[in-house]
Amino acid sequence: MGKWSRRAFIGAGVVAGSALVVGVAVRPGNPNDELKPLLADAEGEELINAWVKVGADNVVTAIVPHVEMGQGALTALGQMLADEMDADWAGVQVVEAPAIDQYVSDSIGREFIAPNLQVPEFFEPTVAGGFLELAQAMSLQITGGSYSVRGTGQRAMRTAGAAAREMLIAAAASEWNVPEGEITTANSMVSHAKSGKSEPYAKFAAAAAEQSLPAKPKLKSPDKYTLMGKPIARTDIPAKVDGTADFGIDAKVPGMKYAAVKAAPVVGAQVESMDATAAKSMPGVLQILNMGDFVAVVADGYWQAQQALNTIGTKYSKTEGDKLDQAALFTRYDEYLDEAGADGGDTETEEGDAADAFANAATKVEAEYKVPFLAHATMEPMNCTAWVRDGKCDVWSGHQSPLGARKAAAKAAGLDFEDVTYHNAYLGGGFGRRSENDNIEMAVRIAKATQYPVKMIWSREEDTMQDHYRPSATSRFQGGLDKDGKAVAWSNIHTHLFDPQEAPTVPYYNIANHKIRKVDVPTHLRFGPWRSVDHSQHGFFIESFVDEMAVAAGKDGYAFRRELLKDSKRHLAILDKAAEMSGWGNTLPEGHGRGIAFVPSFGSVIAQVAEVDMTGAKPKVKKVYVAADAGFVVNPDGFTAQMESAIVYGLTATLYGEISLKDGAVQQSNFHDYQMLRINEMPEVVVEIINGDHKRLGGGGEPGLPPIAPAVTNAIFAATGKRVRELPLSKTSFA
Amino acid sequence: MRNLSAILAVLPALALAACSSDPAPEPVEQIIVREPGAPPVQQAAAEEPAVSGENDEAAPIAAGKSAFAICSGCHVVDADASSTAGPNLHASVGSPAGAREDFAYSEALKSSGITWTEAELDAYIADPAGKVPGTTMVAGAVQDAEQRKAIITYLTSLSAT
Repeated sequence: MGKWSRRAFIGAGVVAGSALVVGVAVRPGNPNDELKPLLADAEGEELINAWVKVGADNVVTAIVPHVEMGQGALTALGQMLADEMDADWAGVQVVEAPAIDQYVSDSIGREFIAPNLQVPEFFEPTVAGGFLELAQAMSLQITGGSYSVRGTGQRAMRTAGAAAREMLIAAAASEWNVPEGEITTANSMVSHAKSGKSEPYAKFAAAAAEQSLPAKPKLKSPDKYTLMGKPIARTDIPAKVDGTADFGIDAKVPGMKYAAVKAAPVVGAQVESMDATAAKSMPGVLQILNMGDFVAVVADGYWQAQQALNTIGTKYSKTEGDKLDQAALFTRYDEYLDEAGADGGDTETEEGDAADAFANAATKVEAEYKVPFLAHATMEPMNCTAWVRDGKCDVWSGHQSPLGARKAAAKAAGLDFEDVTYHNAYLGGGFGRRSENDNIEMAVRIAKATQYPVKMIWSREEDTMQDHYRPSATSRFQGGLDKDGKAVAWSNIHTHLFDPQEAPTVPYYNIANHKIRKVDVPTHLRFGPWRSVDHSQHGFFIESFVDEMAVAAGKDGYAFRRELLKDSKRHLAILDKAAEMSGWGNTLPEGHGRGIAFVPSFGSVIAQVAEVDMTGAKPKVKKVYVAADAGFVVNPDGFTAQMESAIVYGLTATLYGEISLKDGAVQQSNFHDYQMLRINEMPEVVVEIINGDHKRLGGGGEPGLPPIAPAVTNAIFAATGKRVRELPLSKTSFA
Repeated sequence: MRNLSAILAVLPALALAACSSDPAPEPVEQIIVREPGAPPVQQAAAEEPAVSGENDEAAPIAAGKSAFAICSGCHVVDADASSTAGPNLHASVGSPAGAREDFAYSEALKSSGITWTEAELDAYIADPAGKVPGTTMVAGAVQDAEQRKAIITYLTSLSAT
């Protein structure tokens, strides 16, 4: 158990991992000696660089630095590496990198720390190395930020594949004694036409690994792509269809027992006393633990643990949060916003003089919008299996940041990082929830107390009530139009700002004067990144207000946005595409409406048009048209699926999503009061892709979400004249 | 530093984990009811009919009852209870396969001709679909031989009363 075995993780598909290759591969000093024992211990296997392995059977393994949480990025990353390498896709397998420091993603650090850093292209592959240490120090080894393909894939996987190919060519040229320029590669074979020689990559893998690393591997231009841009079937599909796929909750450890947990309902409260009288004599119960911030029952079976837990009477300490109800929290937001007034708060962006332009505007528009807290509601509830014994700790879960989970486990166990082995499995939904470590820490603390392996599973209730939530928020706008109905002033103040920093801003809209501010309002609930993070609320706020300005200007929502985007061809192309797809302007049946929304996020540009039927008791979203420009889409099928799933997730929030507080605790507990979109409520979704810039890719996992709520509410306005300024829609009566 | 703060916002827990080396809190209170594998002594004393003077036999039965927990999602064992998702297993040891009136057995099991000796039960619990292809028992295979033995001991005790 103790030592992480490469064979185990590849063979069983139990993997752990994170990033990097280029930094390693192109820096001085070949790290293969260090990595090879971990990654290529099978007979005849050669690690050509940190991300590429070639087996004796000529199977090329792409070692990818991200985790699989349903988003399918692993396949796209494999395509990028294999394409540059000229590998035969039928003989390519994709595995996740282990949770070891060497696979920390340097380029993700770069994306977050210096996204706008411009460097000469010549330095492109080596600059990455400079960020390696910083990224390692900060555990930046996450799958998130819609980053895998656009960052790791574009900057690292392609370079690794191209470098491997050049090293194989160099090895073959040396062996055959022919010029490198005469050697060609295709389908995992090196060939020399003049001499008629042709051999599989495997023959030269060992020699290639000895070659010096290319300083700057040459990448293909899009006309040479053979795999990138193709809708290749995801590699994780078979195991998920036949049921052999292992998720975190499927961890099996000999002698493992089960833990059910209940944390203090008000975050920050402590367990003052616990009455376990009944639980002690219940079947299967092994241990009952008061951990201070939560209670745990360990039993032979999960159900036994949960049943016993349900009988435990617990008293909690009083906290400041106890007094807080949701209405009072929104009142608190108002107080902070009022206090900030016309000029207070923290200014995020400012251009021109928004106050003056608003004061002198021919038409003034003002509006306030509200959104609730949201839970992630991953299909697989939070869980973690841990075993702490003999100064070692093993942890099994599905986590967006395996290295971060490993560090958190080490801290919770009171052990050194080196003494902890983290085993990552598929994530049954991530959405940002599985970038937190609370479940990891809790399981390790329980297992440290028991000394035998324990699988901790949260009930759905616990999962709903102890999330790290998308914050509830209030946002106020003032907009000014000149006498021709042209937008001249845009002023916004909103609560909170987490990430991305540009979420509340609208640099793409050509409005001469704008000012955007925020106020931080304290709450005791924990914030967590939720699919598209701050864009999830600001997409709704911004695109609702743009629509209100259009109405005030007496213009159509599409035409008004067109004017605002007229200086940006790429943005305009997407807006026009969505309008064209939807037949914008064509008459809809009585009581139906069409709404448009445009939100660039995570490097991608997305416009959506929603068609809503308002003839019934509640809104029925019939169709959603999506026009998307993600630079260059590596796997159109996977990307389209991400657009569709973002609409499922975003429409769930639009229609139903609401976490609210009463006496400081979350009121919702399960799917009866935290509803999901049902299959009969799913609109038909039509996606069209425009590849606008193959050098600068955009993300796929998140950008499809922010436009859906405003597209729907704008459509409701078009159908009914009723402007929705608060989500979810279930709070509004349309009778 | 604006973007640096963005990282901390996205990854608050990671940032904390990296900054602090204090171990997480130990339990405030730890009640050990029993060790894994040990019999639930008090329960056995209260519930098992054949305990008095027969502790040698009671312990494995109690352990078996505990091991049976994973079966109890589908099977009941009370003499007069109706079958649930799986057949009631009261007095099942020694009986022919497919014997209960109140359970819709698969054709495969009904026509298997099996009599539930301990050996047959052991083979079946180890791999139901392998032993009787077509069985509707699609879950609950017990791979651990010791656990199977304990479960069968428990079922046998129920068949004897």
